[in-house]
Amino acid sequence: MRLRNFRRAPLYLCLALVVAVADLPLLWIVLTALKPDAEIIAYPPSFWPGELTFDNFRTLFEISQFSAYLRNSLLVSVGATALTVLLGVCAAYALVRFRIPGLRWVGELSLFAYLVPPILVLVPVAQVVARFGLANNLGALVVLYTATLLPFALWTLRSYFHGLTVELEEAAMVDGCTRFGAFVRVVLPQAVPGVIATSVFTFNAAWSEYLFASTLLADPEKFTVSQGLSLLMDQTSVYSWGVLMAAALVIVTPVLVLFVLVQKFLVGGVGQGAVK
Amino acid sequence: MTSSEVTSREVTATTQVRPPARKSVPAKKVRRGFSDRALGTLMLLPALLLLLVFAVYPFLASVFDSFFRIDFLTREHTFLGPDNYRRLWEDPAVRGAFGRSVLWVAANVVIQAVLGVAVALLLNAGLRGQSLARGLVLFPYVVPAVVAALVFRFLFNDTSGVAGYALRELGLSESLANPFADPATVLGALVAVNCWKYVPFVVIVVLARLQTLPGELKEAASLDGAGRFGIFRHVTLPWIAPALIVAMLMRTIWTAYDFDLPYLLAAGGPMDSSTTVPLAIRKLAFADQDLGLASALAVCVAILLVAGARLYLRAYRSSESALS
Repeated sequence: MRLRNFRRAPLYLCLALVVAVADLPLLWIVLTALKPDAEIIAYPPSFWPGELTFDNFRTLFEISQFSAYLRNSLLVSVGATALTVLLGVCAAYALVRFRIPGLRWVGELSLFAYLVPPILVLVPVAQVVARFGLANNLGALVVLYTATLLPFALWTLRSYFHGLTVELEEAAMVDGCTRFGAFVRVVLPQAVPGVIATSVFTFNAAWSEYLFASTLLADPEKFTVSQGLSLLMDQTSVYSWGVLMAAALVIVTPVLVLFVLVQKFLVGGVGQGAVK
Repeated sequence: MTSSEVTSREVTATTQVRPPARKSVPAKKVRRGFSDRALGTLMLLPALLLLLVFAVYPFLASVFDSFFRIDFLTREHTFLGPDNYRRLWEDPAVRGAFGRSVLWVAANVVIQAVLGVAVALLLNAGLRGQSLARGLVLFPYVVPAVVAALVFRFLFNDTSGVAGYALRELGLSESLANPFADPATVLGALVAVNCWKYVPFVVIVVLARLQTLPGELKEAASLDGAGRFGIFRHVTLPWIAPALIVAMLMRTIWTAYDFDLPYLLAAGGPMDSSTTVPLAIRKLAFADQDLGLASALAVCVAILLVAGARLYLRAYRSSESALS
């Protein structure tokens, strides 16, 4: 056993290197956010903070409307996730279970939608938004996100429903359920891991999005966190790195926590779902 | 997410193997609800409408607009015919953006595929701390583009950047030069950051596939005298190939369309040296206010990507049939 471990030493070295490359930049955000300004711009740079401070976070919420950005992002991301998963679950089930003329066509349409670039959608949508006065409307952003994230959700969920047997549903229907009742009581509980994995990916995509948000929203009160941070980067032209890192930490923490909580579903859920 | 052909094959397969449940349930016991057809249509309709409005309409509108000169304020359309496409072909800025996009996609996809497979194998080698490492390695994928852009700007900033400092201490670089501010290095630096963020995606997909690799296959190969590399070449690689190809297809599409990370890191600069096609499209549409030309460029990219997707799908099918 010891010999085996010894021979595997190079592998452990590689593993350490890979983890370091992946996570040191993130660790650096945390360390910098907790350092006073003087220490951040010191050269040569220090690694561990000599003095821990939360001043950067205090400054962040004082000089910017970051709490408003957080609220907007939360609203938009939760709304888009709920809508995407609801529509995705219904449509994916219908695609897998029913034999309706034209169904194949809908499946191919969703694949096509997946290939349509957001940048192509942007110009016509921006025109519609301008014409109907929907600029600065967070609801419009929710619908837009739902539409662009739906194809991904549809395909992931489709592969999930595909793996479920139809016998349990039939049994439920023999016992007096309607088809829809069987769907809600029998199919959905089995699909929970797939629904969770899809929700997390959808939430993360909406939380991170920049292109649509920055084109649609012009009023700083309506900004999402991505826009807010980008604005902050432009405003603090003499970079106040500590404040920026504090903002980055505030943005990244919710998605990382969410990701850690549901990690066990993700590799099995989206990893395999992407392939089936 | 795979191919339209694969899907339709799967859909027909399901319907053949499992006829609609109604027929197999004794008729009198079925409670009356919607008919299958009504319920199916009802469940599909909202998603269908959304796709029509936000994918089909914009696509058709872009194709239409690409044949017109459009006044940015009055939206007045003047028919041009294929003039916009001719202008695209002749415009050196657009040609430059196109070349950079090809380079950008090829470099990203190749590096991400190679590193993705390598890291997935490493994370599947049964090392101690493997499950913790799996979680840690996937973190960059979750980090929003704006945060990734910020942290790498900070790491490589030219006054106190710790990455530049480390490179200099290691003797790899002479100054704290910011690689995102130098036309010679900006594209390479963008590719590096993009790979940092998206290699984990390939790792997720390949890892999921590796876990389903039957142990007997490997044993049989090593009984036949295959070495480690032989096992990888003849057993593992063919097994993960379908998953890897799908992952590469998705990475190709997303990388070709990627706006956020390149824009937030370098905004196309310095002097357009990192302007890829999506950045050029937005610039044409909103800065130059030339909606017709922007639409034409977007349509060209969409067509190229659909053609590219077909190549991947062909490779996917042959990798699937090679397995069986």
